Order: sequence, then C-alpha cells, then structure tokens
Amino acid sequence: MRTELPQDISDFAEVAAARLARLGGPPAARLAETDHAVRDAARTALAEVGAFDLDVRSEADDLLAAAVLCQAAGATVLPYPLVEELLAVDGARLALVNPDAPRIDHGDLPGDWVAADLDGNRYRPRPASRTAAKLGPFLVPAFLGPPEGTVPARDINLHLVLGSWRILGAMQQSLQIVTDHVRARVQFGKPLADFQAVKFAVADAAVAVRGLHELAKFSVARPESTPLEVCSADALVLRLKAADTARQVLRTSHQLLGALGFCDESDISVLDRHTQPLIRLPLGADALALRLIPDVPAGALETLFSRPVPA
Amino acid sequence: MDYDLGDDAGALRSRLRELISTHMPADFLGACTDDPRDLAATEAFCKLLADEGLLALAWPKEHGGGGGSVWQQTVLREEMWAQHEPRGPQYMGVNWVGPALMRYGTAEQKAKHLSAIAAGDVTWCQGFSEPEAGSDLASLRTRAVPDGDGWRITGQKVWTSYALMASWCVLAACTDPDAPKPKRLTLFLIPMDRPGFTVRPIASMLGPHHLNEMFLDDVAAYPEDVLGEVGDGWRVMREALAFERVGIARYARCESLLDRLAAELGDDWGRLPESLRARWVKALVDLRVARLLAYRAVSLQDDPSAGAAASAARIATTTCDQQVAELLFDALGPTALDSGVSAPLHGAIEDHWRYAQAATVASGTIEVQKMLVSREELGEHR
Repeated sequence: MRTELPQDISDFAEVAAARLARLGGPPAARLAETDHAVRDAARTALAEVGAFDLDVRSEADDLLAAAVLCQAAGATVLPYPLVEELLAVDGARLALVNPDAPRIDHGDLPGDWVAADLDGNRYRPRPASRTAAKLGPFLVPAFLGPPEGTVPARDINLHLVLGSWRILGAMQQSLQIVTDHVRARVQFGKPLADFQAVKFAVADAAVAVRGLHELAKFSVARPESTPLEVCSADALVLRLKAADTARQVLRTSHQLLGALGFCDESDISVLDRHTQPLIRLPLGADALALRLIPDVPAGALETLFSRPVPA
Repeated sequence: MDYDLGDDAGALRSRLRELISTHMPADFLGACTDDPRDLAATEAFCKLLADEGLLALAWPKEHGGGGGSVWQQTVLREEMWAQHEPRGPQYMGVNWVGPALMRYGTAEQKAKHLSAIAAGDVTWCQGFSEPEAGSDLASLRTRAVPDGDGWRITGQKVWTSYALMASWCVLAACTDPDAPKPKRLTLFLIPMDRPGFTVRPIASMLGPHHLNEMFLDDVAAYPEDVLGEVGDGWRVMREALAFERVGIARYARCESLLDRLAAELGDDWGRLPESLRARWVKALVDLRVARLLAYRAVSLQDDPSAGAAASAARIATTTCDQQVAELLFDALGPTALDSGVSAPLHGAIEDHWRYAQAATVASGTIEVQKMLVSREELGEHR
C-alpha cells in the first residue's frame, strides 16, 4: 500500500499551486465578482499549467494531476469552472445540476454548456443571468428543458470526485488561515492558540480535513477493475464527506476568526461564499446520504464485510 | 498510490475468518467474561494461530514470528477485533510487549519471553496507570527503592486490564523521585506470582477483567527485570507504545456489527426509519475515513515525520465506535438493552455499546490525542 501521491504528481501540484496563487487568491476571486478579466486570467493560468491537455477520462496519471489541480483551485478560490471544463463534452462544459432547481456556477461565461443530473440524464441548459448573490456569486439559474440522452455514469462520478478535491483544497486553506490567526491573535494576554477550547476546535477540524484528504486520495486511486456501482457509491461517499467537512471547518473558521471572518475582504468570507455551490449542489450532505441508502444492502457502499459486487 | 493491502491479504482474511468460524464459539464476545471457557477458548485459539505462524505474524522469524508485513498485521488486527478479539488478552504481548523486548530487552530477556509470547503460552498485563497518574503517566508514584543489587517496589496501580489472567506484568515505577520527570521512571518485567503482588477486580459496566487494581507491597525487583536502562522508563514506555499507537481496529468491529445486524434484519432493514438508514450511511462513510486514517498512520509508522497521524486515526476511530454504538442501539429499539445469548447477535451489540463508552478514554484519552493533533497543526513542538 502506498498512501502518498506519486512524486511527479506532487511536483506538478506544487507548480500548479504556485501559478494559481499568482492570480491573487481570495482577493482576486472577490474582484472577479465585478471584473470579468479575472476569470479570463484564471483560464490563462490553467492553460499555462496544461489543465486543458489533461485526459481525465482515460489516463490515470492525468486524473491524479487534475485532482491536485482542483485542490489548488479550491485553495486559491479560483474563479473558473475548472471541473466543468475538464469534463467537457464535445467542447461544451459539463455542469452537474439538480433538475428541481438548476443552477450553473459560472454559467454566464461565454461558451456552450451541457448539463447532467446525478442519474445521468443529459440536458441542454439555457443559463439566465447572474443574480448578484452573496453565496455563490457566480451561480446562474438555468432552464433545462426535457432530458436529451444520457451522460456516462463515469463522468458523473469524476465530476463529484474532482469537485470534492476542490472542496478539499478550500478546507485545507481555511484551516491554514485559522491556525495562522489563532497563533497571531492575542486576547487576555496570550494567543488564542493557548486556550484549550481553541486547540480542541482546531484538532477537530484538522482530523476532519485529514480524513477528507485520505478519502479523496483513496477515491481517485481506485483500480480500473472496480465495478461501476462501487465507483458511483465511492463518488457519493467522497462528496458527502467533503460537504460535511466543509460545513464543520467553515463553521470553526468563522467562530475562531470572529467578526473579522464575516468581512468581505476576509479570505475566509470569500472561501466560504464561493465554495457554497460545491457544498450544496447538486445535493447537500443529507440528500447525498439518502441517495446512498440503497447502496448499503446492495453492497456498493463497500466495507470490510460487504459482499463483493460483480464487476 | 495503491490501496491494495497486498496479494495475499484477501487469502489471509479468508483464512482468519475460517479459523474463527471453525474454532471459536458462535456466541463468543471476548475473553473478559465470567465464564472461564471464554478465556480457555482464546488460549486454545492462540495456540492454533501460533501453530499456523499467525499469532506473531509480523514478528521477525528469528524471534518466532512469521516475518509478515505491516499490512498483513493490519489484516490480522482488523479480523481479530472484528470478531471480539479471539486472541483474548494475548494481543497485548504480541502487539507491543514483544516488539519492545526486541528493541530494549537483554539477550536473556528475549530468550526467556519472546518465544513464549510467539507460542501463545503467556499473557501480559501493563502496570502503568495509578490513582493519581492517568493521562499524566510521568507523575506516577509507585516507588522502587534500592535494596542491595535490586529494588523493593511499593505502590498501587489501577485500571489494569487482564491482571487476573496475566502471568507477567510490565510495571512502571519511580526509581528516582528527585530526577527530572523524564528520568524518574524505570520499567520492570515482573512475574505476577512474585510475593507482594495483590490484584483486586473492579466491577464496572465494561464487564469483568477489564478493570483491576494492583497493590504492590515491597515486591522485589532485580537488575535482570529491568527493561531498557534504569531511569529510562518514560522513553521506553513512549517508544514501546508507539508500536501500538494506531490502536485497535475498532472500525472493523463496527463494520462487522453493522453488517451482521443488516443481515439479521434482512428485508426489515429497508423498513427502518429513513433518518436511521441515513445515519447508517454516514456511519459507514465515517468508518471508511477512520480506516483510511489508520492505514495512513500505519504507512508512516517508521517515518519520524509521521507526527500526529496516529492520534488523528485514534480520534476518528474512537469517535466512530461510540457513534456506531448509538446507531446500533437505535436500530434495535426496545431489545437494545437485552444481553446474553438470547439477545440480538448473542448480545454483541449490548456488549459493544458498553465497551464503546471506554473508547475515548482507554490507551490515551481523546483529549490527549486532540492536544497532540493541535500541537502539530499549530506548529508547537514540545
């Protein structure tokens, strides 16, 4: 067993993170809410690191590279629909939507879109305009129309998995901001980090993020022979854990940063607001859990004791 | 990356399950019961494992082990704990007393103890905790006073598991109360029948044999009893416990119990309230995460930069243990409190709930584990 990313992928992750960070991180993401040029610059940066040359559907190494790139995008709150473009269908970005209330993050960007729901139904979406929302400022309501064919389940799974890597990056960054803050902020004559209640909150968040990281690596490294039903359950499991972790870490972040964390210029505020679409859409944690219920008796949600699902 | 436990992991898992189903009673819930047949069953099973080269699977062959990998050891740990630890109290000798002897023991100590542990002939207990020294072990008060070439040990130990079953004890005592804390302690390997040892069981909700107190009244100790160097007990204890720092595979029993209860419920599982089935899903997700954190800790066990990986795994696993205990009780409803062979799963769920209460206390409290994780996250190195 090897639980470390391969060295070449770690090297790529470092280069990609440095390039995306040069865009300016959360402040640049905030600026992108009003300045369209920032999103163009984000696409340029992604192109420079080779994002759009990655074949995530058939090359295992490319998928790993895409995963760490999404992680870096999450950490820098990259204002660009990276996952959607990595999984483009015939040149059209693939959006994962909930047909009950279709929303597409960055759906206002020029270019074609294809939408799919978690059942794999394919739609031709007609995005409307942005709504100046605080949470998910780039979210665009969309009209779907009737289903037109299907999208492979593997694409849906990859969408959920890569989106979870974005959440992972965002939560690792949130935790870093929090630990920096509690070490620097002095109250009652000592750093916040010296208070046991603060230490425990940091530990709980850290264990959640470490667990998400291990699960994300496991989920992206499943062998090709893994049955599709198991891969689909894996993807939902990862997204559920990612959404749960995000809720916990962001809550901890806001609590420990105090009023500072709510300010628009706070990186935590930007991380929180811009990551909300990934946390809530197409389904939130509780709805994902309900969706996974049939996978328990079917054995698709694998445990040490579940009966093997035929390949 | 590769999350395969190895080509032979599947075969090993199957073999262990076969051995357990063939040789252990169907209603076995561990050695810690009032029925002496349960302890006898574990002793016989340890002999069987030893004959198959599986008891000390990961030990070097020169010490009577199987020369297996840490991942084979991981499979063994999972399968044993999942089935209520059919090795009984002997897992402690195999998992950390033996490895500690390999690293710190004298040639005579190795010759005397290692083959006995690997053969399944001996049960050890661990005399560390005291009434005034739980998490803060370095503050323990049991004194070893010089006496000729050796010492006379007087004091009290508490919460000692298996003390009435054990024939040997790894005993921590203070040999120099004036030394700095890290240099006060010495570890001794003492036979439990040495004069001056008294063991009293402590009745508890965990069940018999889990908790005992030991009184030491002028117990003789000799230079050949010392494990490591005199005054170096704190370091030996910390490093020796690192062999077990990832802890028992509680996630495996949780997954096993959930699987067994689902099988027993059959179609009725689908009639459980949706909210409860959603909790079931979330528990399985958390258990997978706990297992992966444990694998991460195992993969880093020889890495000095491993840091708090084992503590993170312990926090996740022990929390799951209690979460699953509540879930199983809620799924059973009115029969949850029933115990004994007529209870659901022969009382395994009721037994699990009681034992799970200790998960976040035993072998290092969750508070200590959180301190270790937070120190690493906050860049505090002490």
